[in-house]
Amino acid sequence: MQDDHLWQAVLGEIELSISRGNYVTWFKNTRLLRFKDNVLTIGVPNVFVKQQLERKYNDIIMELLAKNRTTPDKIEYKIHTDLSKNSANQEEESISLNPSSSPSSVATHAQMPMSNGNSLSHSYRLGLNERYTFDNFIVGGGNELAYAACQAIAANPGTKYNPLFIYGGVGIGKTHLIQAVGNAIIANKPGTRVVYVSTEQFVQEFIDAVRYKKNTDFAGYYRNADVLIIDDMQFIAGKDKTQEEFFHTFNALHQANKQVIISSDKPPKDIPTLEERLRSRFAWGMSIDMQNPDFETRCAIVQSKAEMKGMVLPPDVVEYLANHIQTNIRELEGALNQLIAFCEMRGLEPDANIVSSLLSANKSRPKHLSARQVIERISKHFQVPMDDLLGPKRDKDIVVPRQVAMYMLRSELHLSFPKIARELGRKDHTTAIHSVEKIEQELTFDAIMRQHISEIKERLYA
Amino acid sequence: MKLQVTQENLSKALSTVARVANTRNTLPILGNVLLKTVDNRLSVSATNLDIAITHYIGSKVSEEGAITVPARLMQDFVSSLPSGVIDLELDENKLHIATDQYKSTINGVSAEDFPVMPAITGGTSWQISTSVFKKGLQQTVLAASTDEARPVLTGVFLHSFDGDLHMVATDSYRLAEKTLQKSKSDTSLLVPGSALQDMLRILGDTEEQVMITHDEQQVLFQVGEVELVSRLIEGAYPDYRKLIPKSFEVTATLSKADFTNITKVSSLFARESAGSVTIKIDEAAKQVSIRSVASQLGENTASATAEVTGSGEVTLNSRYLLDALHVFNGDKITFSFNGKLDPCLLTEPSAKGYKHIIMPLRS
Repeated sequence: MQDDHLWQAVLGEIELSISRGNYVTWFKNTRLLRFKDNVLTIGVPNVFVKQQLERKYNDIIMELLAKNRTTPDKIEYKIHTDLSKNSANQEEESISLNPSSSPSSVATHAQMPMSNGNSLSHSYRLGLNERYTFDNFIVGGGNELAYAACQAIAANPGTKYNPLFIYGGVGIGKTHLIQAVGNAIIANKPGTRVVYVSTEQFVQEFIDAVRYKKNTDFAGYYRNADVLIIDDMQFIAGKDKTQEEFFHTFNALHQANKQVIISSDKPPKDIPTLEERLRSRFAWGMSIDMQNPDFETRCAIVQSKAEMKGMVLPPDVVEYLANHIQTNIRELEGALNQLIAFCEMRGLEPDANIVSSLLSANKSRPKHLSARQVIERISKHFQVPMDDLLGPKRDKDIVVPRQVAMYMLRSELHLSFPKIARELGRKDHTTAIHSVEKIEQELTFDAIMRQHISEIKERLYA
Repeated sequence: MKLQVTQENLSKALSTVARVANTRNTLPILGNVLLKTVDNRLSVSATNLDIAITHYIGSKVSEEGAITVPARLMQDFVSSLPSGVIDLELDENKLHIATDQYKSTINGVSAEDFPVMPAITGGTSWQISTSVFKKGLQQTVLAASTDEARPVLTGVFLHSFDGDLHMVATDSYRLAEKTLQKSKSDTSLLVPGSALQDMLRILGDTEEQVMITHDEQQVLFQVGEVELVSRLIEGAYPDYRKLIPKSFEVTATLSKADFTNITKVSSLFARESAGSVTIKIDEAAKQVSIRSVASQLGENTASATAEVTGSGEVTLNSRYLLDALHVFNGDKITFSFNGKLDPCLLTEPSAKGYKHIIMPLRS
């Protein structure tokens, strides 16, 4: 301890008497190792420091030691590895040559069973598009949960979240995600029987099977699958016999712990004429709502799609696209394709002007909607009389539609708040502000509200 | 200090040492070169405190002395002078440099402040021919790791084993081992790979011998008029021999040019997959084919005829493979492996003494 203090005192004085660079280079990693038999041993990190201290600084150090009432006969400088590196490299290093792991995409490609010609697995992967993988799926706030669930399923099909029911609007990546599960499962375990089918196809095959009396083939094919992925389940609505067949298939698979993944544009309880027993079964596993991608996610999607097509877009173009097409990724991709084609044909560099002119030429939405039409539509949708909506009543079942009306007037027609208030027979525009904010907030977490809004929009623009 | 040197000699010496001088250091003087008269010669030195290089050149010394001057300026200035005799004269800390047409003065810093060049007292010495040493360096240094997290692997291990002197380097993904010469003494030196990179630049195509002197902590390489001192890395080098498989199930021998070509072509399609290419060896077809897939771009298969025993395939990083092929001398290469995750070995059938191992990619 005492010795340590001594050296610290010497260092302190040296620091003041020489330049900073010199101090850091030569004295930073030195230490007093021992002071014995009047020989002082200083530990230094390397041979350069050792020689420098021996030849250049020995006299100064001696002098300063004397000042601290210590007069060793001799100072020894010793190279001390602990000072340069504090890891314990003295022990035998063990190594093993590692097979270097490669990015996951490589692994996936390497194991794609395309080349091994296993006819069974090959026929069972019909319908899956290899283009859809987890790697090129862009994860954002709206689809995080669905993505995580799908990854979990891809890792352990049949054990978690069975059945998985994914629902959400048009063109937000449901198909991509569920196909990615299928592709990932095949990549992890070639030979797994993954059946991907759209509901429309399922119905058609069922009809054919009935017609050609090949019912058993049909049932056998689907019931022997390890993973059954059905897209666009809403189309099964109203087809009773198919529903029954599907019900049995579903039961058979679920009993055998086989994974079932279903996508639809509505939650099970909102699919009209879906049989009750199917509805309750869909609700059995996990239902996940995929929401519209947020702005950042849309930007990321535009960028990655453009990159795939070998195009680098300036940030303002990306933002313009992401800003103007908010709900539907398919539409977003369409606009991007249009932009790329336009620029390639004319040999232009994409910029914000081109995008805005292209997009405005492309606007399909009628602008002649009146406030009246919107309110009427809402009144019909919620089955609340117009008079009540515009009247003074403040019952809950009237207030919510009224708030929705205010929100839609704002979001669709971009009316001013005072104007919105007048349209709905309110005096105060703050009511309108409050209502719009309230609905906007509810939209972020309330799936039913989103459902209402999108249905109203569909009818309005139909 | 007052002396005469030729421009050619001084320029050569400066270009040898100046790259070590680095101005981005806490100690500004390390960006300078030290010029010092030693026994009717001029020594030109620089150091970065990891290594130090000194180049001696003949000169006509009329007055002894020493000075340090900024390395970059000095090098650029001297290299632009016409060839012929240069007069150097020191006045205080100003170095006057004069030829018939040029006269300039460079403000120097006193040689007193320059770090003392480390000297090795005692220690053991041995010699090796420059061409053998240079070839060995070319074939091994590339495999040394640059990751400071495992200092031992950043070194090249010079050691004697079974009466031979070996040089080996590995970054745990690949390993290169060269047998240099017979060795009677017991040697074990772990030299930093970066110092040997510098050494490689210094070694010319001379028939001279490299003199290697070392003690516990440092090593001195002397070749011709140049000296390089480096610290040694402390620690025990891993026992790498047990990693080299003794026998192989699949072996192919083919022309180096063919092998390099098909690897290059395949690597074009392997850019997005971190260079991963799959090598397939087919005994029946007597060929080696390399396949790479780029999910967006397309895919490629290139093949070459070979003498083959056994069939199988393995996935490698094409960059490692190209690096390795590049340092082989002969026209033929033998490529051998066992399983998908076992080490692959490259050797040349015409010359023993060099083994290059690449680990496969886990796919």
